Amino acid sequence: MSFTTWTRRAVLGGLTATLAATALPALAQTLEKSSVGVLALSSSGPIFIAKAKGYFAKEGLDVELKMFTSAQQVPVAVASGDVDFGVTGLTAGFYNLAAKGAVTIVAAQSRDEPGFPLSAYVATNAAYEAGLTKPSDLKGKRIAITTVGSTFHYMIGILGQKYGFTVKDVTMVPLQDVPKMVSAFKGGQVDAILAPSTVSRQVVADGAGKIVGWAGDETPWQLGALFTGPKTIQQRRPVVEKFIRAYKTALAEYHAAFNAKDSSGALVKGPGYDELVAIIAEATKQKPEIVTAGLPYADPQAKLLIDDVVNQVKFWQSEGQVDKTLEPKSVMDLSFVGQ
Amino acid sequence: MSEILRSDALPSASPSLSGPQPVRFRGGGFTVRRHPWAALAAFAVLIGLWEGASRIGLASPLFLPPPSAVGAALSVMVTDGSLWLNLKASLGRIAVGWTLGTLGGMLVGFAMGIGSLARAVGVPLVSAFFPIPKIALLPLFILWFGIGEPSKFATIGFGVFFPTVIATYSAIDSVPRNLIRMAQSFGLPWRSILRSIVLPGALPGILAGFRISSSIALILVVAAEMIGAEYGIGAFVLMAGNLMQTDTLLAGVLVLSLMGLTIGTLLSLLERRLLKWR
Repeated sequence: MSFTTWTRRAVLGGLTATLAATALPALAQTLEKSSVGVLALSSSGPIFIAKAKGYFAKEGLDVELKMFTSAQQVPVAVASGDVDFGVTGLTAGFYNLAAKGAVTIVAAQSRDEPGFPLSAYVATNAAYEAGLTKPSDLKGKRIAITTVGSTFHYMIGILGQKYGFTVKDVTMVPLQDVPKMVSAFKGGQVDAILAPSTVSRQVVADGAGKIVGWAGDETPWQLGALFTGPKTIQQRRPVVEKFIRAYKTALAEYHAAFNAKDSSGALVKGPGYDELVAIIAEATKQKPEIVTAGLPYADPQAKLLIDDVVNQVKFWQSEGQVDKTLEPKSVMDLSFVGQ
Repeated sequence: MSEILRSDALPSASPSLSGPQPVRFRGGGFTVRRHPWAALAAFAVLIGLWEGASRIGLASPLFLPPPSAVGAALSVMVTDGSLWLNLKASLGRIAVGWTLGTLGGMLVGFAMGIGSLARAVGVPLVSAFFPIPKIALLPLFILWFGIGEPSKFATIGFGVFFPTVIATYSAIDSVPRNLIRMAQSFGLPWRSILRSIVLPGALPGILAGFRISSSIALILVVAAEMIGAEYGIGAFVLMAGNLMQTDTLLAGVLVLSLMGLTIGTLLSLLERRLLKWR
């Protein structure tokens, strides 16, 4: 397949699809089928918007959303071919699958950014009184996380890179899931937890601890990505292009509505705010006020923080959790977002 | 039908008249014979097929790592000492948890087998508590016992307790009644009835219960090590799964099943020793 062939086909396909979607509803079944694995979280918002507002259909794609319950499952589903695309947080497990040539990053998802409360460092009341009042105090403490190789594990890693300690200087207690983390936290078994904003706020509301900082303010990093299988890129490149075009349209709308700041730097409601919140609330089956409390930052052009992804791979390699032979740049193909 | 029977009977009847005739032993149809090599050969064939399927590309190394990759992962565990470290942690938890659960279970099981009041109270309670999945209780166990070793002992102990109660109580229940009645009518004291009739009679059933509860302990050590364990085969397997290191994952699973095999063999030895009287 030469370069020109697929471009022409893509253009023609796009044209036909646009026609089908707008003028000829009877031809709607000619939409190409595709699927994406997502978590029911606000960070998957752009996917929900692209689906609900028909941006995928406009590109000639019939995209099926498949819901998963943990970030580990999505890349596995892409690797096994159960879904074509996936959007979730980047974990050591993801990079191990990438090292085996099963998944490739094609665009950015949300990222931790100053001013966007996504993941909090929460100290127990006892630890707070004993002097754990800012993130740099976490050195030498017992911190509950979900699993080894999770995004929380990396957040402790980069926090250490910033304040000059390593993961060895803290005691990470992997408890597999959030309920067990909260349980250990409330029982005073650990000094702190790293938890998503909703959980952190709940813990504080229960009077069990205090938020001492947000990962976004301390260590901005590339939390998640849109990825697919290398085989899909090779054999169905037009589908990937169409998918990312629709994704970017939705992403730009998401960014304008949720990530806008006024001159003082405070977050303001952008155009279409309420409509998009309603779409995300519907897709995640959460109340709108919970959705609005944890809307992450997303780059409007779907551009990836390449340096951070390279840092992630190197961090996991230094922890001995990702194959040392993996070349960090090989996990991504950013030609689709022009990077 | 009767015609055939008679004609069959005739030839066998006539030689018997002419003195004793060697009779072929016909009772050995289902006697168990030892085939020490059969199991090994079956394993070898299975592993060979598995490796072959990987080599010719039928199975992707990601989805089903070949035995050679699993072996390599295992040898890494042996050489960097992590195998021993993890094994020690898990064996300690299994030993303590299983012993606590078994002692408690046998005590309650005995009470239920002998006393009718204990049985009336115990049977519905056991039925109510046995089906509760211990994994669902892990957050509570953390609150009650913390995230240190006690919560791990408790997870394994609770899992082992109920099957042991049921095994002990039904083993005592199945001790032949006529033996007990005979001893009673001979005026044997209660204590020696217990020691020389009930206990030996119940032992095979209790030991069979050990077999089940030791396997349950192995399954639950993985669940127990979900609670903040730094070392342990269960923690190791969970971590390999989270990191999508499928070859390491299978190496850990292999260690778990070898542990099961070892415990099973030890129990067989124990059975042979304790049940010699049969």
